[in-house]
Amino acid sequence: MSRVLVGVKRVIDYAVKIRVKPDKSGVVTDGVKHSMNPFDEIAVEEAVRMKEKKLASEVIAVSCGPSQAQETLRTALAMGADRAIHVEVAGAEYDTLQPIHVAKILAKLSQDEKADLVIVGKQAIDDDSNQTAQMTAALLDWPQGTFASKIEKTDGALTITREIDGGLEVIKTKIPAVLSADLRLNEPRYATLPNIMKAKKKPLKKVSAKDLGVDLAPRIKVVSVEDPPVRQAGSIIPDVDTLVAKLKEGGHV
Amino acid sequence: MLRDISAAIIRHTALSRRHLTPELVLRLITPECPLWRAKEDESPFRDPFWAFYWPGGQATARYILDNQDLVKDRNVLDIGCGCGAGSIAAAKMKAKYVLANDIDHYALAATHLNANLNGVLIDTSSKNLIGTKCEEFNVILIGDMFYDDDFSHTLFEWLIKLHEAGKTILIGDPGRHGLTEKRRRHVQMLAEYKMPRESQEENNGFTKTKVWKLNKLI
Repeated sequence: MSRVLVGVKRVIDYAVKIRVKPDKSGVVTDGVKHSMNPFDEIAVEEAVRMKEKKLASEVIAVSCGPSQAQETLRTALAMGADRAIHVEVAGAEYDTLQPIHVAKILAKLSQDEKADLVIVGKQAIDDDSNQTAQMTAALLDWPQGTFASKIEKTDGALTITREIDGGLEVIKTKIPAVLSADLRLNEPRYATLPNIMKAKKKPLKKVSAKDLGVDLAPRIKVVSVEDPPVRQAGSIIPDVDTLVAKLKEGGHV
Repeated sequence: MLRDISAAIIRHTALSRRHLTPELVLRLITPECPLWRAKEDESPFRDPFWAFYWPGGQATARYILDNQDLVKDRNVLDIGCGCGAGSIAAAKMKAKYVLANDIDHYALAATHLNANLNGVLIDTSSKNLIGTKCEEFNVILIGDMFYDDDFSHTLFEWLIKLHEAGKTILIGDPGRHGLTEKRRRHVQMLAEYKMPRESQEENNGFTKTKVWKLNKLI
């Protein structure tokens, strides 16, 4: 029986149209709908399924961020996590919070909470860094199974199917380990009213990065955030001959 | 007012036997009801705990229905009665007197509706009885009330006193955080049940529910 720590990040909802701030320092977050990073939902779902299959004894959800991060933690609790830890990071520190910081926080909490498994989403849909799982594993010196699309537990070890370029890779790791969830790992459940109600009473502990001894000084400076270039309009071509002529003209054939 | 409450309960719930005590029909918010998938702010009821048949409550009710001797000819107090199933089970098993207690008036209205559906009559009280001596009762039912840390402490201290006064204390619980390891040393497991699928879906992460009896302190 193992204890699973799951990292969940509050991000701008996937359906929101992103706007870059006029000063190019980042994107507009004020007044914008936020929700749990979809890959983290998959991570929570996997941990809860492990608990339901008696492969895990307890699921702890962790989120780093301002007070609103607690809403994300409540969602994780409604999905079936047993308790939550809110690592409060607000204001300017939150603006420059980077995967290295989150990895250090997760590594420290994994040790404090005696976790056997850390599961996070493969990346967050806001900054697309795809670094937290890898860095956490490195800091803990634990094996890692990233981009997991299937996780099986076999006598004290894990068999993980990973989504890699051009196919799937199956690896075996010992426990403790750090895993990151890919899209096809599972379909996360919807948090229904009975679960939301019960989640309100589940324990949620608040700590600071300082309590955990993690220095939040930024290691990367964001120089500029810009909109992707606007796509050029296409044109409709009357027949194949014209298409071939156009392709030749453009030097494509 | 009771009439309005009852009408609202009837409007938003459905009759269900899909639980551990199918011999009881209960008005509950089930997956067919729009509120099942609602967000909290879309619910016309504030914290409708009574609208769901909690696994701990299911376990105590099941145990009573299978072990009539426990309640027959005895006075039973159902604390935090919710939908009233524990009280209804006790009444069906010929308890001398049953009092369903909940501080939520909606829970008491739901209990009356459910008692009526199952052909029994139950007295209800909305007083906060936690901490009182409960002198007239022999059996105390606690169906799934260890979901809150602070409250669990108050509740357990009180239950120990009632136990010392000679009362039988039945606790139904699927393994919530309030029934800590330390507290579990003072309880004895009487039965364990696999939760029905619907109940598992209402309680993400839980698959089994148990009945415990409070024992002498070690």
